[in-house]
Amino acid sequence: MKQQGLDFGERKPQPAPREPRRGWTVSQLTDRIQTALETELADFWVEGEVSNLSMPASGHIYFSLKDDKAQIRAVIWKSDLRYVRFRPKDGMKVVARGQLRVYAPKGDYQVQVQVLEPLGKGSLQQAFEDLKEKLEKEGLFDAKRKRPLPLLPRRIGVVTSPSGAVIQDVLRVLGARYANLEVLVYPARVQGEGAAFEIAQGIRALNRLPGLDVLIVARGGGSLEDLWPFNEEIVARALAASTLPTISAVGHETDFTIADFVADLRAPTPSAAAERVVQAKRDLQGQIQALEQRLASAFAMRFQRVKARVLGVTSHRVFEAERGRLRTYAQRVDDLARRSETGLALQKERAATRLRRHAERLEAFRFERQIAERRARIGRAYDRLETRFRADAQKRRGVLGRLAGVLDSLSPLGVLARGYALVWDAEGRRLLRRADDVAVGDTVRVRLLEGGLRAKVEAKE
Amino acid sequence: MSDETPSFETALKQLEELVQRLEKGELPLEESLKLYEDGIRLSRFCHAKLEEAEGKIELLMKDARGEIAADKQGKPKTTPFTS
Repeated sequence: MKQQGLDFGERKPQPAPREPRRGWTVSQLTDRIQTALETELADFWVEGEVSNLSMPASGHIYFSLKDDKAQIRAVIWKSDLRYVRFRPKDGMKVVARGQLRVYAPKGDYQVQVQVLEPLGKGSLQQAFEDLKEKLEKEGLFDAKRKRPLPLLPRRIGVVTSPSGAVIQDVLRVLGARYANLEVLVYPARVQGEGAAFEIAQGIRALNRLPGLDVLIVARGGGSLEDLWPFNEEIVARALAASTLPTISAVGHETDFTIADFVADLRAPTPSAAAERVVQAKRDLQGQIQALEQRLASAFAMRFQRVKARVLGVTSHRVFEAERGRLRTYAQRVDDLARRSETGLALQKERAATRLRRHAERLEAFRFERQIAERRARIGRAYDRLETRFRADAQKRRGVLGRLAGVLDSLSPLGVLARGYALVWDAEGRRLLRRADDVAVGDTVRVRLLEGGLRAKVEAKE
Repeated sequence: MSDETPSFETALKQLEELVQRLEKGELPLEESLKLYEDGIRLSRFCHAKLEEAEGKIELLMKDARGEIAADKQGKPKTTPFTS
């Protein structure tokens, strides 16, 4: 179709019109423009910076999209808003999906937006990152804020939905393997409108409950939208303010929420949070058992050394008797040391005490005992010797006495003492025993007890 | 943790330190014995603590304001959790 009225070709003098020239009405033209543009540009993505944003009472959102050379008007109808989570602001770089709409009454056109996202990221993602950045700046994620979980949690508060599968999982893990754990569940909605508020409320309420050791916020897997309450500031603030150590267990392992960053521990899943608690007990049991064994063997070693020393000291013959008894004790200690069960500890302690006393006594007697022993032996020998000497002397004295007696009795002096006299010849060579041994008139010599006489034989009788 | 003294943590820490001292083996016999006795006592205490609490799972009751409902003694009202 040839449109003479739109011929902007070469300017040249025109012949005067023969009849009045007619064109399309504006409506016709606008209609053509509308058809052309709206058909051609029925669905596209466009990116640009938001400006001139306005949100009048009607609920629709109007703004312009621009770059450095051009701009275009855009609108999000109220009816489409529920699909657009992200709220644009002036100056934001966005990407919009929509269609071109011509607004006939004003003769202009605009982009009718159905989807709007911050440039490069999903809108929730943007909100997530905004909050994350903000809280990070405040230091809420700092490692130094993280409190250690109690080694042995016994009363646990859980904020979660009481109807979900999550609580069942958690309780199955906890219940089966940790029979002596007390779990208090604060029921809260975990998705949808108001969920964040309830979760925050639960965190605060459990903090006011006395005697809890740890607090878990939990939710099962879901879409980013489903997990959203755990990305809200109110929950982050409540976790940060918690005096109880907190565990966040939201969604699957690959899901990260703001709550995960603020909590003292992020458990990849709710079941894992429960596992963590169960593991704590098993670890501790193992740890205590290991310590007990080390205790027993360190103690046994100490005794081995003492035993060796005692045996060294007592290998001297003097201690032969003690050694026998000591061996018995040492063996008993060995036996006891081999059995590290707690129940036998008392027996062991008693045996140990006895061994200790024994060892101490032996130690104390080490030298004194030897010296005393030898002294005693010498003493005994000396005594025996002395006794023997004494007996000997006595005996000898008796013999001498008797001999002396005999000698006395044999002595002529003894005879003389009794009044007898000895008579010799004149020369004193012969002892006269018979009267015939001399003649009358002979001189004889008489020996008395005291002194002697020279005498003449007058007659024989 | 709750209000017991010493706490489980403290007892476990003491046990650890004590075993380490004993393992050095430089102590007089008398002291070794005392450490051993203390160690046995601590490990018994820890075992007892591990098994202490009574296992139960309760659902807290909350009031309209989201506060945990409590009885006159201040104990929270609960219902046994049934799956």
